[in-house]
Amino acid sequence: MQDALKLYDRSYESRILLGTARYESPLQLKEAIEASDPALLTVALRKQMQGGSHAGQAFWDIVRSTGRPLLPNTAGCGTVREAVNTACMAREVFQTDLIKLEVIGDEVNLQPDPFGLVEATVDLIRRGFRVLPYCTEDLVLCRRLLDAGCEVLMPWAAPIGTGQGPRNPRALRELRERIPNIPLIVDAGLGLPSHACQVMEWGFDGVLVNTAVSRAIHPVQMAKAFAGAVQMGRLAYLAGPMPVQDLAVPSTPDIGIPFWVEADRFASQETR
Amino acid sequence: MMKPDIAIVGGGLLGRLLAWRAVLSGLRVVLFDANDRLGNEATAWVAGGMVTPQAEAVDAEPELVAMGRRSLQLWPGWLRQLPSPVHYSDSGTLLVWQRTDAAEARRFETVLRTRDPHARYEHLNAEQLAGKEPALGTRFREGLYLPGEAHIDNRQLLPALADALEALGVECHWNRRVEDSERPEASLVIDCRGKNAKSRWKELRGVRGELVRLHAPDVELRHMIRLLHPRYQLYLISRPGGNVVVGATSIETDDCSPVSVRGALELLSAAYAVLPELAEARILELDCDCRPALPDNRPGVRYSPNARLLEVNGLYRHGFLLSPAVVEEVLTILPELLRSPASGLSESPRWPLLGARAEVLACR
Repeated sequence: MQDALKLYDRSYESRILLGTARYESPLQLKEAIEASDPALLTVALRKQMQGGSHAGQAFWDIVRSTGRPLLPNTAGCGTVREAVNTACMAREVFQTDLIKLEVIGDEVNLQPDPFGLVEATVDLIRRGFRVLPYCTEDLVLCRRLLDAGCEVLMPWAAPIGTGQGPRNPRALRELRERIPNIPLIVDAGLGLPSHACQVMEWGFDGVLVNTAVSRAIHPVQMAKAFAGAVQMGRLAYLAGPMPVQDLAVPSTPDIGIPFWVEADRFASQETR
Repeated sequence: MMKPDIAIVGGGLLGRLLAWRAVLSGLRVVLFDANDRLGNEATAWVAGGMVTPQAEAVDAEPELVAMGRRSLQLWPGWLRQLPSPVHYSDSGTLLVWQRTDAAEARRFETVLRTRDPHARYEHLNAEQLAGKEPALGTRFREGLYLPGEAHIDNRQLLPALADALEALGVECHWNRRVEDSERPEASLVIDCRGKNAKSRWKELRGVRGELVRLHAPDVELRHMIRLLHPRYQLYLISRPGGNVVVGATSIETDDCSPVSVRGALELLSAAYAVLPELAEARILELDCDCRPALPDNRPGVRYSPNARLLEVNGLYRHGFLLSPAVVEEVLTILPELLRSPASGLSESPRWPLLGARAEVLACR
């Protein structure tokens, strides 16, 4: 597999992860999966599991029938204990050690609780989980998560479900530069394929989308649009974008312009 | 007695309605239901009884919206033909949202315009909203009014349909479960068992809905009220006798055990946010049931010529919204099936969506 996305010990051809919540029907979800060809499907255990591990089986059967590996999450958990319990239950139900860890610190914008997140990560890794933590773009938090043993990080672009796109582009790009060798997947807050394309161009390894697809007027079309954007963004990143210049640089040699004009131009750049 | 034309197995909303309209169309009908004539075990017992094609458009395909519109035309006339009164109100729906969720309202409008060419709605400002629904006061800065949408008292309707059937001399076998292996004596058997037909229709799944019934005699609601929210779906409907129905959660599970604390909290806190006066209401019931749904969340009709068995199912959250349109459709295909039972289902004349499934299934 050329240019695979490596998450822990597995490689994936696709660089998009798709959430399974809030589609109009299981069939529509299935079609969105087929249209976007995601590496992993995230599944929220919590609400479906009220009646023990067999409740909601029909829905999971439909999701499983798409043949994609599942990535359970701890959506909606507000405490370390809740998140750890949910993760343990998810491991049993979905038969996977992977867990997308969410510990929510604020009910209004569903922002990660950095302290609880690190604590839960330590606990879960001790229990043999492979944790994909949903975090902010804070560099020190990310380092702590790596210290705890995470091999993937999932920084947000903006609060969950807002569709705002990267709120803090500088910090995200800086994070990419400071943590160059760990897969970083942008999770939460993307609204448009152009947002996804942009973060892929910056060198992020993948994106996770749910609401941006499921709450589009035509989710299946939007799933396809995101998949294309992620691929193109990745291609652009690999192609090595040109450096940004402050002033126009002609693409053809401008014969006839005296060299002292060129010299002026460089001088003006230096004084900026 | 002559052999009946059709035996309907399952006397919930769909079974009763189909039996009644079939008798009125001149067919000989028998009905079997595992529970009694009150209908309190039916999925439709735990329901808002809403016929709200526009409000549902946000989660339903254009054809379902159109079917809902057809049902809205059929209900009033049908209800008038019933021997006992059933509360019906078509005062419309008011959609409200918290200031921070204004994006949900914009999305709703876009979806509605895309899916319903006949969409009719009005923007209301705080003052107009308070004028239309005084109970809301000026709590919400704006709202949308969807005129003409209706709700039916589900708990009056189910026994009223039983009354109608018995008055017409239909043989109704209440408290009589029909096993999959049994075949009632009739030219055609119609399976309307909803979630209980899962043994036969394996794609059926349950979608859990939880409701709260409140007694709030001081709260007067002139319209159905829906809260637009990115995570919760909430509606409030008044019922005769000072009651208010608050619904409904929607959870992917076959589990029909009692309402969870989380479900109750979600419903009650959202209801309280819309109408703080409900704080003093009394909780009469916390109800839960699983709605039968097919993978596409559309209703489905299928026919097995060998067994002479017609199955109608998958009304999902849309029992009251869709059942008249579905019943009307089934009645148009019945004469052909009774004339030549060996043939498959022909294309559904009015709703290609039902027909598409019928065609596929006929080929099996």
